[in-house]
Amino acid sequence: MSDRSDLKSSFNRAINGRVEELERIARDILDHPESGFREVRTAKLVADWFSENGLALQTGVAKTGVVGTYDTGRPGPHIAVMGELDSLIVPGHYHADPDSGAAHACGHHAQIGAMLTVATGLLDESVKKGLSGRVSFMATPAEEYIELEYRESLRENGELEFFGGKQEFIRLGHFDDVDIAMLTHTGSETVGTFGVGGSNNGMIGKTVQYIGKAAHAGGSPHLGVNALNAAQIGLAAIHAQRETFRDADTVRVHPIITRGGDAVNSVPADVRIETYVRASNVPAILGASEKIDRALRAGALATGATVRIQTAPGYLPARYDLRLVDLYRHNAASLIGDDNIIELHHGTGCTDVGDVSQIVSTIQPTANATSGNGHGVDYLVEDYELAVIKAGKAMGLTVIDLLVESGAKGAQIADSFNAPMTVTEYITRMRGFRSDTTFKD
Amino acid sequence: MTSAENTELNALAQRSIDGATRHLISAAKTVYGTPETGFNEHKTSNYVLEQLRGIGLSVETGIARTGMKAVLHGSSPGPTVAVIAELDALRVPGHPGANAETGAAHACGHHAQIGSLLGVAMALNTPEIKKSLSGNVAFIITPAEEFIDIGERLTLKASGAIEFLSGKQEMIRLGTFDDVDMAMMVHTSATNGDSAFSIGGTSTAHVSHQVRYLGKSAHAGGAPDQGVNALQAAMIANLAINTQRETFREADVVRVHGIISSGGTSVNAIPSDVLYEGRVRARMVEAISTVAERVIRCYRAGALALGTAVEVQTIAGYHPLRQDPSMQEVFARNVERIIGPDSITIVPDDRTTGGSTDMGDLSMILPLIHPYVNSASGVGHGNDYLIEDYNRAVIAPAKVMATTIIELLGGGAGTAREALDKYKPTMTADQYVAAQREQFTIETYEPQQSH
Repeated sequence: MSDRSDLKSSFNRAINGRVEELERIARDILDHPESGFREVRTAKLVADWFSENGLALQTGVAKTGVVGTYDTGRPGPHIAVMGELDSLIVPGHYHADPDSGAAHACGHHAQIGAMLTVATGLLDESVKKGLSGRVSFMATPAEEYIELEYRESLRENGELEFFGGKQEFIRLGHFDDVDIAMLTHTGSETVGTFGVGGSNNGMIGKTVQYIGKAAHAGGSPHLGVNALNAAQIGLAAIHAQRETFRDADTVRVHPIITRGGDAVNSVPADVRIETYVRASNVPAILGASEKIDRALRAGALATGATVRIQTAPGYLPARYDLRLVDLYRHNAASLIGDDNIIELHHGTGCTDVGDVSQIVSTIQPTANATSGNGHGVDYLVEDYELAVIKAGKAMGLTVIDLLVESGAKGAQIADSFNAPMTVTEYITRMRGFRSDTTFKD
Repeated sequence: MTSAENTELNALAQRSIDGATRHLISAAKTVYGTPETGFNEHKTSNYVLEQLRGIGLSVETGIARTGMKAVLHGSSPGPTVAVIAELDALRVPGHPGANAETGAAHACGHHAQIGSLLGVAMALNTPEIKKSLSGNVAFIITPAEEFIDIGERLTLKASGAIEFLSGKQEMIRLGTFDDVDMAMMVHTSATNGDSAFSIGGTSTAHVSHQVRYLGKSAHAGGAPDQGVNALQAAMIANLAINTQRETFREADVVRVHGIISSGGTSVNAIPSDVLYEGRVRARMVEAISTVAERVIRCYRAGALALGTAVEVQTIAGYHPLRQDPSMQEVFARNVERIIGPDSITIVPDDRTTGGSTDMGDLSMILPLIHPYVNSASGVGHGNDYLIEDYNRAVIAPAKVMATTIIELLGGGAGTAREALDKYKPTMTADQYVAAQREQFTIETYEPQQSH
């Protein structure tokens, strides 16, 4: 066992020498936010770092994704350590791009720092010598499920099929031989702690178009068919479904109107809505989705408008491997003490880490190092040492546990993991979520 | 008849009514104190029966449940003029005259009509006046002018007690008006105007919907996911109806309004059987069908949104009021003669009150007038609608109707015959009955579930 603790000491020491560099990279990304499938600068920054540090490099994976491969040269488990490249769009955020409104209001910039921290430690020669297997450092695009019209245009161009970066990674085969995956997200629950366990909702996305008939809103409103009224009835009808959602299913439906009419003196004839339908499990997502469609159709029926509902696959619910959680908890505690490890509850947000978790043994702990509201203008990483350095160390120490002794622990967890679905089944299932229906009475 | 004779008879009629002022006002107040809703006006009907018998008229009773008809014959044959009064109260809980149990209240002034009718009957039954008339005067007491309590009336319809849902509609169907040539009724009004009377204009036509949403009950706390909420469906429909309003044209004078007449039985159960009573009114029957189509679409949208079934029963309502210009002229002349100059405002023919009346239905088959006497305060159908001036509400209309009839049927009924010659009915009674029957439909919509 002294071998293992020596490896861990070497790992930590290697990182301690490069703290400033690693934190600087995270802050650099914070200052140059790019939203999903547009992370050109961020990707280049990661790719350059991988090259400079001797990792085998793949770029342009799922448009902007980057993979750096760390190979011990010995057979063993294949671990994916992930970090997300994309920002949100939150105009008014302290670090928002003034032109695009893009902003790291979800802390992904720290994830990249943490991922590079893991690589920094593992690349230490004395560490590498003691491990077996491979680690793929995956900088994944587009975790935030936003800008659906843009992504739809990419889909139509054949540049992607699914709207989440990790989903595309799965589709493109990057998880085919991965055994275990991990990513540390920032969190603000109890600052100074790591959160472990938990689970996340899954979701599907909908883009809705009401087509009415334009007419002069003052002169001849009786000749128009008001698509905005149709949409409002549809939205009100969605709210009328809420009492039927079960607590255990943690359903979330939260539409926005992305186009609400073109001129105030014309009866709106083209109104668009985007919404998610989230829930803790797939049957609940599908059940709620059916009710939402019904409600949306009612808006069309009431006004004589036409409604087109396009449903796109979103993310699957996330379930984390408790054996991996235990291993991680132990390593995280070695850095900040048992008292500073908290158990996460079910999260009603969604992540494409959920998709990964349906295929391989996965954890997504949180580094609780931020202030403000997630996705809000005031969400800021306050403690970079925790969010980048210690988060990276906790993951890396776990990787060491998985890959030492010929990767025995990693193999044991991977072999006994009861995957809900294979990659092929995953792709079939995701494609099955897609639908495009038009309703007019 | 010379104009001197006319003046003498008019004076006699006025004296007769003046002498009965206290009695007539007291009769109106008695009816006010016994408010009963349509087709349930048993006490009111019995009271009016006694009064008519007291005047010496023979009365046919039990027409359309509570309606009555008494005919006064002139000395020689001629047209029959009907004087109409309505028996029924509204339902306005909180009205000072409301029945504590039923909420029935005379918030539309029908009780004053009864007083006026009795006054006309007394005056015209004076032998000298009766002798001067060529033709008859039919006193017709009609039930259920207010088109309310749809559920209750549908039950009466199902039992065969009635077929149509208002008193005059039923009376047309039963032939009560078959021997009537022309009709008049004076309604009270709270319109702020300078003159005592107004005449002219029209009313809206309407159609009613009895809408029943059928969902699935479930414990509202324990298993709301197992329920299908019929109340939510009705509320979505109501919301959807409101969004249609921008498509209504002012010229069509569209009014759409509804109530939830049964909105769930217990708060801890998901409502599974909800009744919505809807009404569509418009200036013309054609506009009603356009609007009703939109409204029915909204009822169905409520069902689609929640996954309930919905049954929409369409109930034939009222026709727009068409007042006869010749009779209007005679009436206006008599107002000026009896009440004084500038006592009547002539309303343009195309001016529409938002309300509806089954006098509209009658106006499709015979000439009539429906003047208003400005004598009330408050808001019509509101809890503050009160007759302020009973002399004006009861006595003045009695006098003017009496002298109008003296002019119409006096002198060999030349004036009445002239009016009848000019009048062309919109439809016959038979055509009317057939058209009403055709409107009664039931449509059921059960949205298809995709799974």
